[in-house]
Amino acid sequence: MTRPSPTTVRWLILVAVLVLWELLPRTGLIAELFLPPLSKTLAALFSERQEYASALLVTLYEVALAMLIACGAGILVGALVGGLALLRDLLLPVFSSLYAVPIVILYPIFTAWLGIGSESKIAFAGVYGFFPVMLSTAAGIRTIDAQLLLAARGMGATVPQQIARVIIPASIPTVLTGLRLGGALTIIGVVVAEMLTSTAGIGYLVSRYRTILDSPHVFAAILTILVLSVLFDAIARAVERRTLVWQTAGRREKTSHEPAEALAAPAPAG
Amino acid sequence: MTVANLSVVRESPAEAAIEVTGVNHVYHGREGEVAALEDISLNVNAGRFVVVVGPSGCGKTSLLMMMAGLRHQTSGTIHIQGRPILDPDPKRVGVVFQEASLFPWLTALDNIEFPLALRHAPREERRQRAEAMLTLVGLEGFGARYPHELSGGMKQRVSIARGLVQDPPVLLMDEPFAALDEQTRMTMGHELLRIWSQTAKTVVFVTHSLTEAVYLADEVLVMSARPGRIIDRIPVPLPRPRTYEMMATDTFGRLRDRIWQQIRKGA
Repeated sequence: MTRPSPTTVRWLILVAVLVLWELLPRTGLIAELFLPPLSKTLAALFSERQEYASALLVTLYEVALAMLIACGAGILVGALVGGLALLRDLLLPVFSSLYAVPIVILYPIFTAWLGIGSESKIAFAGVYGFFPVMLSTAAGIRTIDAQLLLAARGMGATVPQQIARVIIPASIPTVLTGLRLGGALTIIGVVVAEMLTSTAGIGYLVSRYRTILDSPHVFAAILTILVLSVLFDAIARAVERRTLVWQTAGRREKTSHEPAEALAAPAPAG
Repeated sequence: MTVANLSVVRESPAEAAIEVTGVNHVYHGREGEVAALEDISLNVNAGRFVVVVGPSGCGKTSLLMMMAGLRHQTSGTIHIQGRPILDPDPKRVGVVFQEASLFPWLTALDNIEFPLALRHAPREERRQRAEAMLTLVGLEGFGARYPHELSGGMKQRVSIARGLVQDPPVLLMDEPFAALDEQTRMTMGHELLRIWSQTAKTVVFVTHSLTEAVYLADEVLVMSARPGRIIDRIPVPLPRPRTYEMMATDTFGRLRDRIWQQIRKGA
């Protein structure tokens, strides 16, 4: 009896969750108000597809701009803080403790300043996603192997060349991880902000349908966000993998055996 | 193509490739000023293979970094090829570091090309030089590998190729094989001598291994513990090319023993 590969198990778990989602409310084990069946949720999503599509566009627009702010400012400030000892000593402790503050508490201030339209969501989510990007960029630059810089200097690299050819490529892995985390946080930030105070977006749909106890439509909105986040994560990971061939090429050879193993040992039928 | 366009002609043996004159180095530690190097003077003639040994912390790496222009001595002068060295000059001096100094995001070939890319050499020329170096160090066909796909010995071969790619007359090596296992280390020493005899570089090689020192060197310089001074210069009269069998000879053993006695005296 060979064990099925982790990938197979993961897919089986997903299928099981979807099946349970349909069966538990159908059999009456869970009231449909708390968990509408998957089929009803999808039907609700389909019947109001126009509304969901335009809400999704608003959310996507806000997420895109927030990510731009988070990544741009995060990388810039992170590079300065990581690269300059003076800024590092002054700012890093402050930023590190700010990271632990529940920034959502500032959201009412953002609405007071910027109104309840998209601007406040973008600003809030931008700030929310800024910290992990900034902190990991700073860490990426701070932890560069001094030996690499010494080698580059020994080969006659000027300071701009050291930045372009050593510091930037060496810090890319940590920066990308920060972008993935920060990106995920901007999605959370936008949706949370939309649920609190707004007139548009997927988060707004969730809270509006919840107040009228329309569970299928609430879950349809939740499902949309779920898919959006999972897609973002998959894309971000794919970008990381492609950019970091030099880190993963060795491992890729190993994992390429996985499909073969999976074929040789078919998973037990569920 | 491979070795033909390297300078195979040895310069007149009387000419000093490296001249170190009255070098002192003092750094500021926690307990005030610490004398790291004291009155170091030495000449290395062109084409010679000189090995520096000494106890840990005696400043042998510091001295090497000063010859590379990567660190500045407190007083004294260092001339390479007749001109003072104040900053790194890859056309005069190539450096091979201890380990893991290859850029992990570049392939072996791109790593070797790196010094040429820094001075914007034409792509075609870069490729050709790098390929020739790869062949010289015995890694033909491994150019597309990333460092993490190479063994420790292969990585150091790439490092040597990178140090030689600009064809500098002087090659400085800072314990390049220290992280390798004993067998690989022996093979690499032998390989280094082959490469050296094909390229006729002046080599200064820092190591902790006495066997390595005797096996490689024309002359072994022994340094004392801090403040680092040169306490003995031991010529190695073993003929070249060196063979593994020589390690079993009395001469080899006596030389290694003499170096060891000197290190103990200076520690």
